[in-house]
Amino acid sequence: MADYRELWQKLGMDLEKHDVLCEVLPQLYGGVYLSQENRPEGMNYYNFVVSEVHGLRIKELDDHKKQGGKVVGTFCVFVPDELILATGAIGVGLCAGSQFWIEDGEKVLPRNICPLVKAFMGAKVSGTCPYFQSCDMIIGETTCDAKKKAWEVLDDYVDTYVMDLPQMKREKDYKKWAEEIYALKEKLEKLTSNIITEEKLHEAIKLCNRKRMALQRLYNARKELGVPISGKDALLISQIAFYDNPERFIEMTNELCDELEDRIKKGISVNKKGGKRILISGTPMAVPNWKIHHIIETSGAVVVAEETCTGTRYFENLVDESATTMDGMINALADRYLKINCACFTPNKGREEDIIRLAKEYKADGVIYNSLQFCHTYNIEYANVEKALKEAGIPVLFIESDYSNDDVGQIQTRVEAFLEMIG
Amino acid sequence: MEYDYYILFNTHTDGLMMVKKLKENNIKYTIVPTPRQLSKCCGIAIKYEHEDEKAILDIIDKYEIKVSGLRFLERKNIDIKFI
Repeated sequence: MADYRELWQKLGMDLEKHDVLCEVLPQLYGGVYLSQENRPEGMNYYNFVVSEVHGLRIKELDDHKKQGGKVVGTFCVFVPDELILATGAIGVGLCAGSQFWIEDGEKVLPRNICPLVKAFMGAKVSGTCPYFQSCDMIIGETTCDAKKKAWEVLDDYVDTYVMDLPQMKREKDYKKWAEEIYALKEKLEKLTSNIITEEKLHEAIKLCNRKRMALQRLYNARKELGVPISGKDALLISQIAFYDNPERFIEMTNELCDELEDRIKKGISVNKKGGKRILISGTPMAVPNWKIHHIIETSGAVVVAEETCTGTRYFENLVDESATTMDGMINALADRYLKINCACFTPNKGREEDIIRLAKEYKADGVIYNSLQFCHTYNIEYANVEKALKEAGIPVLFIESDYSNDDVGQIQTRVEAFLEMIG
Repeated sequence: MEYDYYILFNTHTDGLMMVKKLKENNIKYTIVPTPRQLSKCCGIAIKYEHEDEKAILDIIDKYEIKVSGLRFLERKNIDIKFI
């Protein structure tokens, strides 16, 4: 197959160390994904993206840079992709979902912080992520203390710009967030030497909305009792949405949705044996973090939705397209993005309501609340979520975990007991 | 002993050309990451059913698709290790 080593070398990567990652990924993907039965044929596209994850897309980024284009990396669903696209830059949501990067992350960060933060730092420090290496700038945000302080360290390795996300949702917070979006606009214009015109921003808003609608269509198919696609596959599609070419992603996801809707009509389901329907709620699952989904779906249940940043928080609510002035569009962006109910906000009653609503919409038999270790906001917020779910009569299981293999057996036992209990 | 069968390519464009022709000819296939035992380079391979091998060879011949080989591996139970 294609040899990308020259390209990786040009990006300053540690080829020897990166080779270790290349060696284990096909096996993990084979075991978690290709071992599934009755997959939709449309999943071949996403198999292709994963197979070429450090190849073709990196070459596309390189070609873009050769023509003077910029690449901007992000880590959070609050960073508006619309602005990045409106400058002609390419935005890539960076992964940070692998245990592989933890050791290098711990060389510059404390051990007792969340694995996602340690992994992104490790990916950069070790020079083993070609996406990270392709980035001209990283846009960070203030969604937690670990990230907030890690940006200062990361800035030694790559230009890192930080958006100050308000932590409450009062009128003045909406205004402040709109100001932050304006400030990002200026920063991106300076980086790319491209002015964001009203026309360009409006086009970008429409493009991002189309991507959200494709994902909404995918998730709508999962509401069916005869669910036509596994949770693992849907998670993979959401993860790929963060870094794939948006137009190609929309086309291929809509093509897959045609197949899923046809499967629904024909009664073709991945849940033939009537396994329990599970809603996942909690922290993001970045590539290749497929651990919890794999445990649940090899225990006879099916994941029907994710109330996470790699799930509904990424695509629910469209940006209002009726505004065409710069002020109007920036305000529309601020409104849409501040509707996301992340645990970094206080109070955050909206998230409890979201989880209950989603559990009903997706006909979930139970909720598995998954939090990364040391993620204080999501860990602490569990108390209120648990109370709200109990009042609504929805069973819930709490899991706190990292990316390692160590607790797989223990989690499997707890998940199996939970599935039996809700049966 | 059971085996899995793969078509390997030098470039992803050759792989995608093969996919197009397999689709047109209604031959079942799965795009997979190239198994490391078969090649050290990253990228796509195509997994196929052994019974379709003759039809696949005909397609390669007819459309002059560049492949770097048809290979097989013994099927083993994969011990999943999250990374």
